[in-house]
Amino acid sequence: MSTDRPDDSESESESEPEPDGDVEREAAVPETDPEVQRARAPATRGVDPDRLERLLGDAVLRRDDQINADAAFEVRPDAVQDSLETLKRRAGFDHLSCVTAQEYADRYESIYHLKKYADPTQEVSIVVPTSRRDPTSESAEPVFRTADWHEREAYDLVGVEYEDHPDLRRILLPETWQGHPLSRDYDRDRPQIVTLDEHANPLKEDHEAEADDSTMFVNIGPHHPATHGVLHLKTTLDGEQVADVEPDIGYLHRCEEQMAQLGTYRHQIMPYPDRWDYVSAGLLNEWAYARAVEDMADVEVPDYAQVIRTMSAELCRIAAHMLAVGTFALDVYGDFTAIFMYAVRDRERVQNLLEDLTGQRLMFNYFRVGGVVWDLPEDRQAYVETVRDFLEELPQALEEYHDLLTGNEIFQLRCVDTGVLPPETAKEYGATGPVARGSGVDYDLRRDDPYGYYDELDWDVVTEDGCDNYARVLVRLREVEQSARIVEQCVDLLEGWPAADREVQANVPRTLKPEKDAEVYRAVEAAKGELGVYMRSDGTDKPARFKVRSPCFSNLQTLPELAEGEYVADLVASLGSLDIVLGEVDR
Amino acid sequence: MVVVPAQSATPLPDAIADLLGLEGATGLVAGAFVGAFLVANVMLAMTGVAGPWAKRKITAAFTDRIAVNRVGPFGLLIIVADAVRLLSKELIVPENADRPAYDLAPVVLAASAMLGFAVIPMGSGVHLADPEVGLVYVFAVASLATLGVMMAGYASDNKYSLLGGLRAVAQNVAYEIPLVVTAASVVLFAGTLQTSEIVAAQQETLFTIAGVRVPSWYGFVNPFAFALFVVANLAEVGRNPFDIPEASTEIVAGFQTEYSSVYFVLIYLGEFLHIFLGGAVVATVFLGGPAGPFLPGIVWFTVKIWAVFLFTQWARSAVPRVRIDQLIEIGWKVMLMLAFANLVFTAIVVGVIT
Repeated sequence: MSTDRPDDSESESESEPEPDGDVEREAAVPETDPEVQRARAPATRGVDPDRLERLLGDAVLRRDDQINADAAFEVRPDAVQDSLETLKRRAGFDHLSCVTAQEYADRYESIYHLKKYADPTQEVSIVVPTSRRDPTSESAEPVFRTADWHEREAYDLVGVEYEDHPDLRRILLPETWQGHPLSRDYDRDRPQIVTLDEHANPLKEDHEAEADDSTMFVNIGPHHPATHGVLHLKTTLDGEQVADVEPDIGYLHRCEEQMAQLGTYRHQIMPYPDRWDYVSAGLLNEWAYARAVEDMADVEVPDYAQVIRTMSAELCRIAAHMLAVGTFALDVYGDFTAIFMYAVRDRERVQNLLEDLTGQRLMFNYFRVGGVVWDLPEDRQAYVETVRDFLEELPQALEEYHDLLTGNEIFQLRCVDTGVLPPETAKEYGATGPVARGSGVDYDLRRDDPYGYYDELDWDVVTEDGCDNYARVLVRLREVEQSARIVEQCVDLLEGWPAADREVQANVPRTLKPEKDAEVYRAVEAAKGELGVYMRSDGTDKPARFKVRSPCFSNLQTLPELAEGEYVADLVASLGSLDIVLGEVDR
Repeated sequence: MVVVPAQSATPLPDAIADLLGLEGATGLVAGAFVGAFLVANVMLAMTGVAGPWAKRKITAAFTDRIAVNRVGPFGLLIIVADAVRLLSKELIVPENADRPAYDLAPVVLAASAMLGFAVIPMGSGVHLADPEVGLVYVFAVASLATLGVMMAGYASDNKYSLLGGLRAVAQNVAYEIPLVVTAASVVLFAGTLQTSEIVAAQQETLFTIAGVRVPSWYGFVNPFAFALFVVANLAEVGRNPFDIPEASTEIVAGFQTEYSSVYFVLIYLGEFLHIFLGGAVVATVFLGGPAGPFLPGIVWFTVKIWAVFLFTQWARSAVPRVRIDQLIEIGWKVMLMLAFANLVFTAIVVGVIT
């Protein structure tokens, strides 16, 4: 946060990552940024920890000063639901952004990172400590539907158990896995024997009750043309209609979190985010880590680097949305169609721009802690012109997409009013990004929790009220326009930037060792939504816990809501409109 | 090619028998075999060009790509390469496949289209048989493909195949009726089911513009029926927007999911044969069969069926797929109604004129 906005950096930087971080972070925002203030709902300005503590009553064990949310409370393991319910209903914290579980020497801990959709700068963390002998706490699932998967992941990787959870099974690893890989006493050398038992139809009980043979169980994936990667949908069909669908993920789990925990903050973590959402959204992901670590280590990024970051990240967003729209067209149109090729053609142009800038086409590794690795390529003017050429031709290309796609009547027949995700449901599931904005949830971290150079630029958050597949596609296409606006302004800024002032990196120590027990949870608006990173320091140069809040993970969880009762063709279309990348879902 | 008088009413087998100097039953059998052999090979050769090469080139043109251009001139030798590749692949048969049905399905699929060509007048005397019920025969044998698809669907012991097979049946039932009813309106005009007579009836002059004689092709006489027929034909051959039986992004490859190697080739060729048969029926019923200025009839006929093929590929590249329920709805609620309206209207017009 602090490093992102140059004009109020003093007030921010002194308050932000300090251990006594119970600060009114957003108190600074409205003063400095009337634009943002106007856009937000008139929620309570700032979080009042005392009021929240009174609300939560005797559930609170103690106030935790470590996390750089506005407030953090340790609550009793048997009062999780009550506490979350209170915060959700009475304090307006309606967005369970992430659940982080971790193990200390003496305890387990589940952290519920709560935000408000109306104002994501207001954050509260509910910390639930449990003993090592009996790591059981109450599940948050009855309060926030999205906690289902998050808690399953916590159980799977760390080993915390949740009472009341509707279906506490492993989610990323196979059912037969022995041990919890992110727990302290996990034996990495232990051989794992994975049997095929897990392929038994887990939905059988659900549908036997109906006592008829009218349903059919179908495995869609993990190898299927429409799953956009290795996703497995356990689908029960009633004729052509979807009676039940359950996404089975984890096929692409690559221990990204653990690998990050083995890397040093300064250089070794930055290449990994490129591999989360790997369809050209790399820089947006890098920014998530950069923002978190810069907050944690109190690094201030030079303005010039922020402009480059903003520009390159928005180029990434254009490329990612192009691919999303193109593959969605494939799902709906059928075979290898014109629209996919056009989208890939335009994405290719963005890739070329990014290659000129970063030297890479996919795994950029361009951001550094405190800035970016290098300046715009020489010859600078030529690069700026190339970007401008692209931007100039973009509206025409978009026109083509609208002609071929959104204006097509059969396409509308297929997409309007299919895969409906009401805004309330979207919030329940923690949906963010174009999925939430397609449901009319006006939530975009670039505006609501500004970072980079976004709040200095003139652009709009796109929302559509359709709540259906069509609205989600439309949001992406319109966001490309907005991204182009941002890039255009950034290019102007970069062109006019005085040569003496072109500082691409802050002066960051060679080794970063944040204070022991410093914690940070920061999110950015990635291509698919809110991409958050939680880190806890143990005083060394590597994080003790590194947790990724993947937007796709939460968005994919909404699939049953979109698809159940619909036709199987709409299941495929809905899945496409969610625009998931399995690399980010499974990490 | 055998030299026979242009637009001869004499079917091809007779001409071959004459050339061979055979008479009676021997001549008939020999002529029929040789004729069928020739026609079948020409059609297969066309699908051979269409499947591995033309389809790719056409789709590529629509999507800004280049497509096959590595082997031979214009990549034409890819046809040979693909044939070798496909035929040398392992034929994988699912464990629980229903054997006779599983093996027969590709044959039924390809054969049903093949049989249809028997009664199509292709011009330049290439016309295998000319029964009085020619048109009915074409639709009857072409519908056998549905049976083949269904056999493939259930015999594969694969849920995707089953879904694809069921979709194909639902779709074909929904579109066969409008297709046949629309064709019936042409029969009302022509007053006959004999394909040669239908073609002959279209040779009359409809009107003359500046000395150019416009023949009374039923596509000109009743463009509405023509459009209806072409759309229903798209559904009949299962191309976008009606490629639902094998919707690749939904049910993998539908009824043909479990077919590989030679069986796959047979199914694939069968599909292209069906497209060409569809084109042949469109040409015969609405576009004056092999008629056309200057060039020999067989050339015009080829041009016409390739035009229909091009149209199916165009639709495939540019039009989204409708959903199965929407497809059935379009079939039963819209197409069928329009087809009957057209039939009644035609009946009234024909009744008033004659």
